[in-house]
Amino acid sequence: MNGGLVRILDGNTFVVSDSRGDIEASLTDPTGLFSFDTRFLSTWILTVNGERLNPLSVDDLAYFESRFFLVPGTGTVYVDSKLSVIRRRAVGDGFHEELTILNHDEEPVELTVRIEAACDFADLFEVKDALQKKGAYSRRVSGRKLLLGYERESYIRQTAISASAPAKVDEQGLTFSVYVAPQGSWTTDLDVVTAAGAGGTYSRPKYQRGQRGARPNMERSLERWLADAPRLESESDSLRATYRRSLVDLAALRFSPPVVGGAKSLPAAGLPWFMTMFGRDSIFTSLQALPFTSELAATTLRALGDWQGTRTDDFRDEDPGRILHEMRYGEMTAFEERPHSPYYGCADATMLYVVLLDEYERWTGDRRLVRELRNEARAALRWIDDYADLMGNGYVSYQRRNEETGLENQCWKDSWDSISYRDGRLPGFPRATCELQGYAYDAKVRAARLAREVWGDPDWADELERQAADLKRRFNRDFWVEDGGYFALALDSEGKQVDSLTSNNGHLLWSGIVAKSKAKSVVRNLMGPRLFSGWGIRTLAEGEGRYNPIGYHVGTVWPFDCSFIAWGLRRYGFKEEAAQVAGGILDAAQFFDGRLPEAFGGYERGVTKYPVQYPTACSPQAWSTGAPLLLLRTMLGLEPVDDRLLVDPMLPDSIGLVALLDIPGRWGRMDAFARGRAAVLPPRARSLSPARG
Amino acid sequence: MPDATTEFFTELEQRGHEPLLEKATGSLRFDLVDNGRRSRWLVEIDRGDIAVSHRNAKADCVLRSDKALFDRIASGEENAVAAVLRGAITIDGNRQLLVLFQRLLPAPKTSA
Repeated sequence: MNGGLVRILDGNTFVVSDSRGDIEASLTDPTGLFSFDTRFLSTWILTVNGERLNPLSVDDLAYFESRFFLVPGTGTVYVDSKLSVIRRRAVGDGFHEELTILNHDEEPVELTVRIEAACDFADLFEVKDALQKKGAYSRRVSGRKLLLGYERESYIRQTAISASAPAKVDEQGLTFSVYVAPQGSWTTDLDVVTAAGAGGTYSRPKYQRGQRGARPNMERSLERWLADAPRLESESDSLRATYRRSLVDLAALRFSPPVVGGAKSLPAAGLPWFMTMFGRDSIFTSLQALPFTSELAATTLRALGDWQGTRTDDFRDEDPGRILHEMRYGEMTAFEERPHSPYYGCADATMLYVVLLDEYERWTGDRRLVRELRNEARAALRWIDDYADLMGNGYVSYQRRNEETGLENQCWKDSWDSISYRDGRLPGFPRATCELQGYAYDAKVRAARLAREVWGDPDWADELERQAADLKRRFNRDFWVEDGGYFALALDSEGKQVDSLTSNNGHLLWSGIVAKSKAKSVVRNLMGPRLFSGWGIRTLAEGEGRYNPIGYHVGTVWPFDCSFIAWGLRRYGFKEEAAQVAGGILDAAQFFDGRLPEAFGGYERGVTKYPVQYPTACSPQAWSTGAPLLLLRTMLGLEPVDDRLLVDPMLPDSIGLVALLDIPGRWGRMDAFARGRAAVLPPRARSLSPARG
Repeated sequence: MPDATTEFFTELEQRGHEPLLEKATGSLRFDLVDNGRRSRWLVEIDRGDIAVSHRNAKADCVLRSDKALFDRIASGEENAVAAVLRGAITIDGNRQLLVLFQRLLPAPKTSA
């Protein structure tokens, strides 16, 4: 767990505490009980006889539950206590905590046990940006409950705290006068529940004493989720562990979008800041997970379709047909101090939406949903032509209209300095990044297939294919960096190439926009020492002006990025190179107990021997969680073709035998078997495998 | 001169069919309060076909709002989703209907 913090979650409710189970948040500190992007508890401190406790161990029982073993006294080298304290906490519509004190002595003890509680009701944005509140706070004792409240006009949030054992409740917390017999124990249940709105009804804690099984909001429990996923058999312990970790984390990141409602789930972007609906992240993660579960894709398509833009709204950067970037529920969004209701400033999600729709149909054969979403797909494709071509040059580009709180870079590399020329200069706006053109191409090609085979509109299919072919021809001319043999990162506002060498070239392979004659040169660059670190492909090549091995989008390696690059390498027949990338990332996963971080340093593998984690706020991160799944797909060469599943494996030799059993799809269930054959080589000693296909 | 709310619902009724609601079937009732005076709009949707009335009927989704606030929403001066998050509009029932319905609300005037 990051920095000794313990995180448990249920949907978009989560608790972050220290290893004692205590919460002591300052405004900028990310601990507390959070729900709907709002902090409902910022202080939660347990003392026994006025003393804080000492952590012995923490058990992460499940993603929604943890148990803290504590003893009184702090700061001692060794502990010889007659008392043990156990806090067992489960999150779900607030949280439930069982507090137990064991007396190991021959003598009885009398104790004063106290829970200190308070709340700042901070919006997640305030926690990230350290902003001050505008409303009024209240604290009140009502019967046996402590009520904490916050009110700003009609915006009301409340937290209620209660205990099962007799307690003296004051405005700062609960005090228990406890007698524990020799070798005896004392216990109480503590419930923390939340409420929103005037006269809002409080949530009911989902977990009660003695309830041990997961009770997800979703249709399927964790056990069912795991049982329904394909079974992986492998000689590699690390691959099996990574696979299981990915499935469990993906289950934890499942999220029912609250306003859309229903029991279906889609992947939220990451814990703890991004337990919400993101267009891009939800789509990429759904794509990665498709060979293992199609539920996420179906819900993502429906929910993003329901919220598809219909208006021109500059504050939200909304256009008709545009797929949303991010939805938020907190105070700053409610008072329009932030545009996330929802915010649409994202240049790729609309095209990726169409890509996901086609890929979903190819795996599941669910034509009903594809027919149902025809209007949404049509509106998305219209957005590409009518709203995304900001420079009138036939390319998708972006420039925010909300200049105060909108996003500058609306591609996946969304940090301020991610798009630069070789010499490090930053281009002006609009910017037409290359991968956007690839996605637009792929969206049109895939939509053409759906138009022909599902929507019964062959004329439209012809038109889409004509547009796609034209885009591909122009793109290969205008973006090709002749002296480097790769595609430019972007075209700037004057149509000139932003000429640095980046991992975006791999996304271009994935999209299919790369002319066959150029593929080998692109792959040589991707697998060369400037981009391939031995662990994975750097976001920006070594030697470029802004290259920094620990720069967020300018030198780090992103597992998600690499998983799509591996898919792209497969698409153009570079099987061994795809296996190299997969092997590197999966080797890296071992160093993180199977949970890949969002990004790690771009240092050369031979130099550091282990991947250096980028200090990031979110873990698990959805598309990092999905990366091993997509890498498994690419290594096994799984490809749905009509009603069959093709298997064409190429694995790193370090992995040995792999069997993926019961792969779900339109064929029912199928198995895939493979044996590692590709040698994993350092980046400098490699010759390219011949391109096939 | 009719108010913005009346204009919005009248225009909706005249449209008869709305492609953006083709996935929707169900009813929404808007209970609006204007200085203690109540008014009501019932919108019934059948796969994109729309009927608007003042009938007092049970609905799949009921919205309660200040009339003045809804006037501002109907004229593009306020955002409905933000108002819901703020608690200025309360909702009971099927929220997906509301998500689909809010797509018909006008764009902000400032963005025109």
